[in-house]
Amino acid sequence: MSRVVDIIIDGENYRAEENSLLIDLLIQEGIKVPYFCYHETLGADGNCRMCMVGIEGQKRPQIACDTLVKEGMVVNTKSDTIREVRKNILELELINHPVDCPTCDQAGECSLQDFYMEYGLHNSKITIAQKVKHDKAIDLGANVMLDQERCVLCARCTRFTAEITKTHELGIVGRGDDAKVTTMPGRTLENDYAMNVVDLCPVGALTSKDFRFAQRVWFLESSEGICHGCAKGCNIFIDHNKLKYKDDTIYRFRPRRNDAVNGFFICDAGRLSYKELQEMRQESATLHGREISQEAAKEAFHNLLLLHQNSIAVVIDANLYTEEIESIINFANTIDAKIYAPLDIYKDASFADEMLKSSMRAANYKTIENLGITTSTPQNATLIINCNHPQEFRADATINFFTHRRETQALTLPIAAYTESSGSLTNEDNITQYSKQAVFKNSPLPTISDYLQGLGYE
Amino acid sequence: MRECKIVSKKFHLPNSHTLSVARKNGGYEALEKLKEYSPTQIVAIIKASGLRGKGGGGASAGEKWELMPQNSEKPSFLVVNCDESEPGTFKDRQIISYDPHLLIEGIIITCYAIKAKQAYIYIRGEYKEYQDILQGAIDEAYGAGLLNACDITIHRGAGAYICGEKSALLESLEGKRGHPRLKPKQKEPEWYFGNPTLVNNVETIASVPFIVQNGAEAYRAFGTQKSPGTLLFAMSGHINTPGVYEAEFGTNMLEYIEQYGGGVKNGKKLKAVIPGGVSCGVLTAKECEGLTLDYEALRAVGSTLGTGGMIVMDADTSMPEVLKNILEFYHEESCGQCTPCREGSGWSDKIMKRVLDGEGSKEDLEKLFELADTMNGKTICVFAPSISIVLLSFLTKFRKEFEALVL
Repeated sequence: MSRVVDIIIDGENYRAEENSLLIDLLIQEGIKVPYFCYHETLGADGNCRMCMVGIEGQKRPQIACDTLVKEGMVVNTKSDTIREVRKNILELELINHPVDCPTCDQAGECSLQDFYMEYGLHNSKITIAQKVKHDKAIDLGANVMLDQERCVLCARCTRFTAEITKTHELGIVGRGDDAKVTTMPGRTLENDYAMNVVDLCPVGALTSKDFRFAQRVWFLESSEGICHGCAKGCNIFIDHNKLKYKDDTIYRFRPRRNDAVNGFFICDAGRLSYKELQEMRQESATLHGREISQEAAKEAFHNLLLLHQNSIAVVIDANLYTEEIESIINFANTIDAKIYAPLDIYKDASFADEMLKSSMRAANYKTIENLGITTSTPQNATLIINCNHPQEFRADATINFFTHRRETQALTLPIAAYTESSGSLTNEDNITQYSKQAVFKNSPLPTISDYLQGLGYE
Repeated sequence: MRECKIVSKKFHLPNSHTLSVARKNGGYEALEKLKEYSPTQIVAIIKASGLRGKGGGGASAGEKWELMPQNSEKPSFLVVNCDESEPGTFKDRQIISYDPHLLIEGIIITCYAIKAKQAYIYIRGEYKEYQDILQGAIDEAYGAGLLNACDITIHRGAGAYICGEKSALLESLEGKRGHPRLKPKQKEPEWYFGNPTLVNNVETIASVPFIVQNGAEAYRAFGTQKSPGTLLFAMSGHINTPGVYEAEFGTNMLEYIEQYGGGVKNGKKLKAVIPGGVSCGVLTAKECEGLTLDYEALRAVGSTLGTGGMIVMDADTSMPEVLKNILEFYHEESCGQCTPCREGSGWSDKIMKRVLDGEGSKEDLEKLFELADTMNGKTICVFAPSISIVLLSFLTKFRKEFEALVL
C-alpha cells in the first residue's frame, strides 16, 4: 500500500495515493479532462493526447493518463495554454472525421462532439477538400458495425479484444492517416462480449446493429437495473422511451459500472435479453387457452383453492425478486401449501465462462437457497400454483402466474416482467442488489404480490 | 583532416565480408581480451571511452549498458538496430556488407558484457541483399565455433520506418504492430517480452571491438572531449562523390564535404545541408561555415548531428520542393498511433502540396507553423517533433521561397 500524498489541482488541495495515475484522480474528483483512449479497465495507451495537463516544473504539457501522482505536485487543467493544446489536438482529430453527426447513432453520447463543444468551437481552417476515405458500414460480426472514417484510433476496441476477451479479432492496419481498425484476415468479431466495444468506442465508429437507427439517444430514459440473464447480477442501464401514442419500450441494455459485480461490461446474451421482455407476453388472464375477465379469473382462482385444500404446492421461479418470493411464502403458509423451487432447470454449464457468465441462469437462486426453500419437484399435490417457474409440472389442476405465453389449458394470470417492477436480488456471490422499475406500461400488469393482495391474501 | 578508420578499416579489402579476410586483418582479436576482463570491466571500459550511440540520439552507450542487470533471474537480450531507414543515412549498410564480422565480434563482446545469450539483429526489410551477406558471415562464425557463448538471429522488418525507434522495434520483434511504447518513468533497460534488453545501433556495436582491444583512451584520441571517437559520416545529394567516409567527431563540415565529397556538383554554390538524416533541421550554407561535425556544435546551431548522413543541396534547389519531399516521407511513415502525428503529418503534406500547386495562401503557411507547434513534444516518440523541427527550419530559414509561392 503506497502512501497518500498532497497534490494541488487548479489551486485546490487533493489527497491521492502516491504513484497512482493522475487521470484517475481527475476522473474521480469530477475534474473535467478530455480523453478518448484512456479507460479505467484497459489502462493508459497514450495515443489520443487529449488529456493534456500542465505540471509545474515541466516545460511541456503532459498527458494525465501517463503521469504518476507525486507529493506536492501542482497540476493545472484550465490554463489558456492547456485549453489551446487540447483545442489544437482536437482540430487534428477532426480533419479526417466525416462530421456526419446527423446520421450517426453516437450523436448525443459522442466524446468527439462533447469535446468540440467544450474545447473546440473553432471555425474550420481546413483548406484541404479531400478527406481520407475509408470504408463505412462494415459488418464486423457479433452485431457490431464499423465506420472506419469516424474512428479516432483510440484502440480501445482492439485492446478490449486483446486484453479482456483475449480473442484478438480486432487490429489496426495501415500507417499514419491511413490507419484503420479492422478484423484480422479471415476473421470476424466473434466472442460473447463483443458488443462491449460499442460502449467502449468513444465515437460513432462502432455501433450496435441491434440499436442502429432505432432511437436518438437523447430521447431515451436510462433506468438502473439488474440483468436477469444469469446469477451474476450484472448492473445495467435499461434505456427505454415512450413514444407518443405508443407504449414504453426498451431499446437497449448497457452495462452500468459496478466494480464488485461486473466492472464495466456485460455479456452479449444479457445485453440482448431485453428483447424477450417485449415478445410473446401473457397479457390477459386465460383459461383453456381463451381470454377471460378478471372477475372470472378471480372466481376460478378461489374455486380451485377451495377444491384442492390441503393438497396444494406453490412453485417459485428463482428469478423473482426477494420481496415477491416472501409474499408468495406468506400466501403459501396462509393456505397451508407446500413450497418448492426446483433449481436444476436453471443449470447450464454451456453458458458459463470465467468472466461474467454464470452456469446458474437464475438471477435470485441464492435467495431460494438462503431461505431454505425445497429445491425438489413438488410431490403429491393435486393443485400446483406455478409462480413463473420455467418448468412444466403435472397435477390435477394448475394455476399459472406467467410473464410469457406458454402452451397451457390451465388458469393463467399475466404478471409484470422484472423491468416493470422493483425488488431485490441476491447474486451468486451473495451480493444483494436492488433493481428499480424502469418501464411503465400504458396498461401495467400486476406483480404476483399485487394479485395476492387483490385476492385478499396479504 | 586526419584519416581515422576504426569501423571502416577493412572496407576496402577484396572479399572483406569473409571470415578469412577478417581474420587475416585483425578480426576477432579483441575476443582475446575477454579472458582478461570481467563483464563489468568491459562495461566500465565502454563507459570510459565515451562511446555514444550512433543511431541518431547520441546517448552514452556505457550508461545504457550499465542499466543492464548483471545478476538477472530473467534472460538478458541484445538487440542490434539495423533498421536503417532515415533518408540520407546508409552507413550501417556498409558495415554489414563490407565488414559483417566486425559487427559479429562486437555482438560477442557486448553479449559477454551484459550476460546475454541471445542477440537479435533487427534488419530493415529492404536490405535483403545485405542481410544475405550478413547471414553468410554469421554462418561462417558459427562454423568456426565463434558463437558458442551467444546466438545471433537476424529478424527482418517489414518496411516501417518507425521500427527504427527502439521501443517500436521491440514491439515489432515481439510480433506486434510497430508502435513506440510509453517512456518509462525512471532509467531502466528496454524490455523484450518483459526481459531486460539492450538496444544499440549497428555502428555502436561495431565500434566496441576497437575500444576493448585498444582501451578507452585510444578511442578518446579521436574526436572531441564530449563527442569522442569517429562516425561513419555519409554524404548524398549534389556532390561529386557521394558515399560513406569515416571521420572523427569535430571534423570541419565543409572541409569534409570538399575532401571526401569532392565539393558541390558542377561547381555550383552550396545552398543548404541537412546534417544527419532528414529529421535534423536544415542548415544554410552560411550556418555551415566553420561548423564542426559533433553533437555539441550541431546543437549550438539549432540542429542535431543525427546519424551523420548529410544531404547536400546546391544553389538551384527549390526548398519548398525539398520540404514537400520530406513531408511526403513523414506522411507515409507516421505509425498513426498519436493523434498529432497521425493527422499532422498528413495535413502538413497536403497543405504543402496546395502551396506548390499554386493554390496556397498565407494562412496555409501560418497553419504549418501552428501544426509544427502542435506536433512538437506532444507525442509518445520523437517522430512528430522531428516533423516540427524540419517544418520550422525550412519555413524560417527559407521563408521568402515559401512566401513567393503564396503571393
